[in-house]
Amino acid sequence: MKIQNPLNLLNTKPKKVTALVIAVALLLILPKTGLLSPYLVRILTMISLYSMLALSLNLLTGFTGLVSIGHAGFCAVGGYTSALMWQYTGLPWVVTAIAGMIVAGIVGLMLGAPTSRLSGSYLTIATLGFGEIVKMIALNWQSFTGGPLGVNHIERPVFFGITLTTFNSGFFYLSVVLTALVTLVVYRIVHSKMGRAFMSIRDDSLAATLMGVDVTAYKLKSFIISAAIAGLGGAFYVHFVRFLDPNTFNFDISIIIISIVILGGTGSIPGSFLGAVLLISFPEILRFASEYRFIIYGLILVLMMRFKPEGILGGHSNRKLRLMKGVDTYGY
Amino acid sequence: MILQQIFDGLTLGIVYALIAVGYSLVFGVLRLVNFAHGATYAFGAHIAMVVIVSANFGLFWGFIASVIVTGLMTMLMDRIALRPLRIKKSKGISALITTIGCSYIIQNTLMIVFGSRSKWFPKIFDYGNFNVGGILVKSTQVGIIAVSVALLLALTYVVHKTKIGLAMRAVQQNSKAASLMGIDVNKVVSFTFFLGGASAAVAGTLISGYYQIVNPQMGFVAGLKAFSAAVLGGIGILHGAVFGGLVVGLAESLAAYYIGGGYRDAVAFIILIAVLIFRPNGLFGKKVIEKV
Amino acid sequence: MAKRVVLVALLSLLIASFAFANGSAETQKPIKIAVVGPLTGDFAEYGTGFKNAVVLHAKQINEAGGVLGGRQIEIVSFDDKNSGEEAASIAERIAGNKDIVGVIGHFASGVSMAAAPTYEEVGIAEISPSASHPDYSSMGEYIFRNNSLINVEANENLNMAADLFHAKRVAVLAVKTDWGVKTADILINDLAAKRDDLEIVGYEEILDGLTDFSSTITKLRSYKPDTIIVCAMYNILGPFANQYKDVDPNINLIGFSNAYSEQLIKLAQEDGNGIVLPAVFFHESPEAKVRNFVDAYMADYDGKIPSSLTAQAYDSLGMFAQAIEEAGTADRTAIKDQLYKIKYDGVAGQSYFDANGDAFKTFYWLRIVDGKFTMIDKTSK
Repeated sequence: MKIQNPLNLLNTKPKKVTALVIAVALLLILPKTGLLSPYLVRILTMISLYSMLALSLNLLTGFTGLVSIGHAGFCAVGGYTSALMWQYTGLPWVVTAIAGMIVAGIVGLMLGAPTSRLSGSYLTIATLGFGEIVKMIALNWQSFTGGPLGVNHIERPVFFGITLTTFNSGFFYLSVVLTALVTLVVYRIVHSKMGRAFMSIRDDSLAATLMGVDVTAYKLKSFIISAAIAGLGGAFYVHFVRFLDPNTFNFDISIIIISIVILGGTGSIPGSFLGAVLLISFPEILRFASEYRFIIYGLILVLMMRFKPEGILGGHSNRKLRLMKGVDTYGY
Repeated sequence: MILQQIFDGLTLGIVYALIAVGYSLVFGVLRLVNFAHGATYAFGAHIAMVVIVSANFGLFWGFIASVIVTGLMTMLMDRIALRPLRIKKSKGISALITTIGCSYIIQNTLMIVFGSRSKWFPKIFDYGNFNVGGILVKSTQVGIIAVSVALLLALTYVVHKTKIGLAMRAVQQNSKAASLMGIDVNKVVSFTFFLGGASAAVAGTLISGYYQIVNPQMGFVAGLKAFSAAVLGGIGILHGAVFGGLVVGLAESLAAYYIGGGYRDAVAFIILIAVLIFRPNGLFGKKVIEKV
Repeated sequence: MAKRVVLVALLSLLIASFAFANGSAETQKPIKIAVVGPLTGDFAEYGTGFKNAVVLHAKQINEAGGVLGGRQIEIVSFDDKNSGEEAASIAERIAGNKDIVGVIGHFASGVSMAAAPTYEEVGIAEISPSASHPDYSSMGEYIFRNNSLINVEANENLNMAADLFHAKRVAVLAVKTDWGVKTADILINDLAAKRDDLEIVGYEEILDGLTDFSSTITKLRSYKPDTIIVCAMYNILGPFANQYKDVDPNINLIGFSNAYSEQLIKLAQEDGNGIVLPAVFFHESPEAKVRNFVDAYMADYDGKIPSSLTAQAYDSLGMFAQAIEEAGTADRTAIKDQLYKIKYDGVAGQSYFDANGDAFKTFYWLRIVDGKFTMIDKTSK
């Protein structure tokens, strides 16, 4: 896929776009109903953020078949870029967040290029090593990143003179809009030639090569896009909690993201939302269970692999459907 | 000073080697990266702590109990979580994700049962320190090296000279053919997991007795470093894992001394990524041609 | 289609459960104060100490008739797991609960600083019994600390090195966390640089959670120090003492007040003997109010000995109670204004807040002798 006119994104599936717009509108009205306390708005914001991160990982893992357990590393790159850029230049959030996306994308390329020939488990472990190295750099490059002191007092995003907070639900609105955009982008990619190439690599990379898919190039594209979205998530998060240190994006975060993708469904966009809703809200609803939450994340990984490796909303019925649609759209 | 660092690094390295052979054993037979191995190591240390400190049974029984309980725990993990995946012919990545899940379950269960704070562990083989040509040698280090070397030799013997070792190597080369030749593949796999768990338990007990401290998070970073060691030597190759362990331990010790304590963990990860990129089969590994 | 139905059903169920979880009944009577700290995780000992002390003090105040003519104090506790993210989330939950009029907590400086902007924004006073980062209290007028500043305490450490050990060559070991690095920086560059009685001969950092100190110890020994100041908590000072004294039993070790914990003795065992550290509170002090606190604490919590941070948490509630009483109202802003005016005579000494919200205190010097903390007579040296 060559670079497309971004307006083309809106061109496909008017029905689905309408559904998305309605869902976004409903979510945007929600805080105004007065039903939600700031605490609930915060949880919904976190669900929205994790949906975005899960979509990003789903693109790489669910659609392209490259399992990453160092995804928090990309969030850290995006988060640090945005926070440090703000600290050194004072530029507004929109600019620093885009910079965060770009830098994360470049790092994705830097990780993807040498590791693209690694298969399965090796790649997964390499991503884990990557996540730890990002943490080590953040911790040790003290003159630049602040080291263990981190970055404090990070400025909140300001739009049209309004500072976003949890209390005016600004962060919630921003997260919903960002997640909607990311959903649209991922949806559009998945239903394009690029998406079909991703899935062909996942299903059988040898066959994909034989069919003329440039496997390495598409793996890299998947890495770059996925990393850039994760970087955006990181850039959002650090301006949301206004504090960033090397432990903010640790291995636990990577595990939460992959648990969401696997529970909700690999290769399923609604699955990423479902997974985020379930996994982010359960420690809040089941307060007594919050101590056990990482055991539960572990159990989810084990049980899903055992009984439903494709996740709640992923799986074969979807795959068949996708093939049918693919065949359809060849007729343009 | 440099000799001192080298000696301390090699002591650390021999323990990494002990953890690394666990990865190699399981990988050799199953082509599976057992991510739960680091947590298993922490589990072994805690079992030893319970027996030695809480129940006051002494070091020897601590070792024995830790080896048996940990070995059985890993066998059980294979039985419950991993064997069904082999029966279903799941993808390799599913098994890896399962072991990641197991790792989380083990580590967090330890945290809940024992609390996550660091706990004291008695020093082992404590007969004072010696000065050998300007290097300070602790009796604990000598004991650790002796036990590790003995165990590594025993493992090598088992794999290369016994019947079950022959079966392991047969399964490694071709599990279907091995099965047709009358080898009980499941039994071999169980045995392999037991060996892996047992060696992790010994490593956990030794390290805890060396540093006199135990905590549930100890397995994560140690496991990753040992994995780097296994990959460096060529995962699946026993002597490669030993060599890799020594290199990682040495590199870490020297980095802590010459670059600074903050960088020591980064060294192992950089080795890991570099090996994966430049020589994924490790120093001693043969190039595997992807089958078409 | 079935899947979509399931999805929608699950989503609505969850949102409904949130809505219900939110609709709890409100009672105006008791005055609620929140206590937040790590109740689980590596620093659970400190957070549990906060909670225990505050709950105990509330019980004592309530038994004595409460505040404002009979209103009870109710403690709400939260576990921030010593994580900035959890802390920020809890801060918003506290801020959103109109009944809560004050916050005692957040343990680590970094965590307190992640939560502070929210407290400042909604105007609810936060007293941290432990945060010692110099920038913490200047984050807003609602942000207080009932702990000494790093530079005050670090100066005590240097005095101890000079007076107790007649140290000439001092090495510094710091844990690579915000607190450790900042403390070492102030100790070495601000304080020691101005002294000519001793010299800082070396500085090393270690990662938090590390257990192998052999390289660091070799490096430290190469500086030939007679005394080492360890800017780390008990979880590092304990095993470090073990491993260092193994190779050099004559080293003098100096810790900080946040290593003052029974756990230090448990981890270091006999190698802990001889470690000295400054503290604003000493549990064996004969003073009546200290005895009253320590005895009640040990009676309520299985004979556990309160640490100095625990004592500061205990005092923090006393400060709130006194501020509420003197202000004559449990209004959030009035409490904040009153806090700047009070002089509080607590178990951890007399304290008052300056314009920044920093408390000022005097230090005891403690030494571990035969597995017990004992007070050093400062005058005899």
